[in-house]
Amino acid sequence: MTTTTPPVARRDARRADPPRPRAKRSPFVRALPYLVPAGLLYGYFLVYPMIDAVRLSFYDWSGFRTEPQVWVGLRNYVRAFTADPVFWTAFKNSLIWVVLSLAIPMMLSLLLALGLNRKLLGRNLFRSVFYLPAVFASITVAAMWRWIYNPTLGAVNQGLKAIGLESWTHQWLGDPKIALYSVFVAAIWQSVGFNMVLFLAGLQQVPVELVEAARIDGAHGLQIFRNVTLPALRPTFVVVVILTIINSLKVFDLVVGMTGGGPAQSTQVLALWSWTQSFQNHTFGQGSAVATVLLIISLALVVPYLAWALRGEDH
Amino acid sequence: MATVAAPAAVARRVPPAPRRRKPRDWPGVGLWIALAVSALIWATPFVFMFLTSVKSKADVSQLPTWNLPTVWEWGNYADAVDTGNLWVTGGNSLMISVIKVPLGLLLSAAAAFALGRLRFRRHKLVLALFAVGSMVPIQIGLGPLFNTMYSLNLLDSRWGLILPYLAFGIPYQIFMLYGFFRAIPDELEESARIDGASTFRIFWQICLPLARPALAALFILDFVATWNEYAMATTLLQSQANWTIPLAVQSFNTQHATDYGALNAFIIMSAVPVLIVYLMFQRYFVQGAFAGAVKG
Repeated sequence: MTTTTPPVARRDARRADPPRPRAKRSPFVRALPYLVPAGLLYGYFLVYPMIDAVRLSFYDWSGFRTEPQVWVGLRNYVRAFTADPVFWTAFKNSLIWVVLSLAIPMMLSLLLALGLNRKLLGRNLFRSVFYLPAVFASITVAAMWRWIYNPTLGAVNQGLKAIGLESWTHQWLGDPKIALYSVFVAAIWQSVGFNMVLFLAGLQQVPVELVEAARIDGAHGLQIFRNVTLPALRPTFVVVVILTIINSLKVFDLVVGMTGGGPAQSTQVLALWSWTQSFQNHTFGQGSAVATVLLIISLALVVPYLAWALRGEDH
Repeated sequence: MATVAAPAAVARRVPPAPRRRKPRDWPGVGLWIALAVSALIWATPFVFMFLTSVKSKADVSQLPTWNLPTVWEWGNYADAVDTGNLWVTGGNSLMISVIKVPLGLLLSAAAAFALGRLRFRRHKLVLALFAVGSMVPIQIGLGPLFNTMYSLNLLDSRWGLILPYLAFGIPYQIFMLYGFFRAIPDELEESARIDGASTFRIFWQICLPLARPALAALFILDFVATWNEYAMATTLLQSQANWTIPLAVQSFNTQHATDYGALNAFIIMSAVPVLIVYLMFQRYFVQGAFAGAVKG
């Protein structure tokens, strides 16, 4: 085809019709039938509701069809920030959740992955045991742990009694000071396995030759870890950190199932507070304002990550 | 996969003798003990769950959780089927998952194919727009989604629920599959094109089969996520006849007490389909989606 088209003409054609001169239709038109079904569903059932949540955050509305939506400007935000103590509790708890998730379960799953990356007796059994909680629905995990925390019959208090530490027994989910952390323990139990698998996948990409070379040069275990394994794990770390933060902001089922946000709203988190405001207090505007705050936080984290991930892909 | 198999075969032929006689690997032993203890801790809640599921109400309130039951009360499982309405709720969950998961994967694969192989201008922007959706908490859109479903007359409908489920599964899958399709060598596609293959054939007969490990891993993840989804189901489904498994858990809390024996039996039974799917596709698990995920 290059011989039939003179160079000048080809350059013109290319300017008019992007990459391939031969293509009858532009690549975008060819791509459309493949994109449209996913795009429509995604746009209509995910993007549109989220944008609508932002719109509703400027209105006062009970959520009932028959009642009007009244424009109130920023009043919902002002209320959330200044007159709604639960909002700040939820905000603080979400933040605590994010920080704790990055500190404890992530480190645990890294340690497990490092341990289980070696050849060991019963390695597959170990991996399965740590992963198993991840396949259970969070709402069932919540029910299970509520039973474990049951003040009189639950395993925790009974265990403490049995070893003579009766003074340590608590209303694990009934005491506002510790309820959030009790829920968090269940979250650790459930989430470690998934991150462990991510780290294991990442460890597969640590170049074996480099580890061998370092060993021959006389580096000991910790040095190899610091200078070979850790740098190679960096992309995995970014993925796990992002997923951990996002999943922490999403926490909902566990809290609903274990405490419902109580006692005295002490375990309230942003995602649940938004839902409670909309569907239980029938203040859709308030709920949407909380949702919008959550959306802004999420986007502030996700957009830089995506920019990084998609740029990196070029090399 | 062929490249993985080859070194293994070579390694097997090397005689294992010389390196064996090392002094005992004490750090290794310590590591093993630490792992075993952690694994025991991790398994304990499951042991409690099982033991409780076979205890009578009297045993539950009198024996410590870790004791064996005085009478093995297998009837709890039958009670759980009744109380949780397992055949109906399980049937609903199964119907939704069996339709949603393959259909969602197909739609995502098609979109990821368009983004990864039919390189149009700004395909990365479109990819980013999709990917953002996989990373924002779904609760943000739940209120308006309720309105949308109401106006479509799809509120409290199992079929209706499939649509937002599809929408919320698609972004992550596109993001993962995009990487896989990108990695397919161009020559493969070009030679197929020279042989006269249509775009659809390249998608269906070349790209899809090559992405099989990723599809299998995504299948597990999506099946587990769909089967276990709670927030949207509890918002959009109302009548008990439409409930899915996660909603049925609340049937076990009556005003006065929770029937812990039956509840734990129900939790165990509710995870069976997920475990089956997990076991079926397990071998693809680590190598599949996550290899793609981690390359970023």
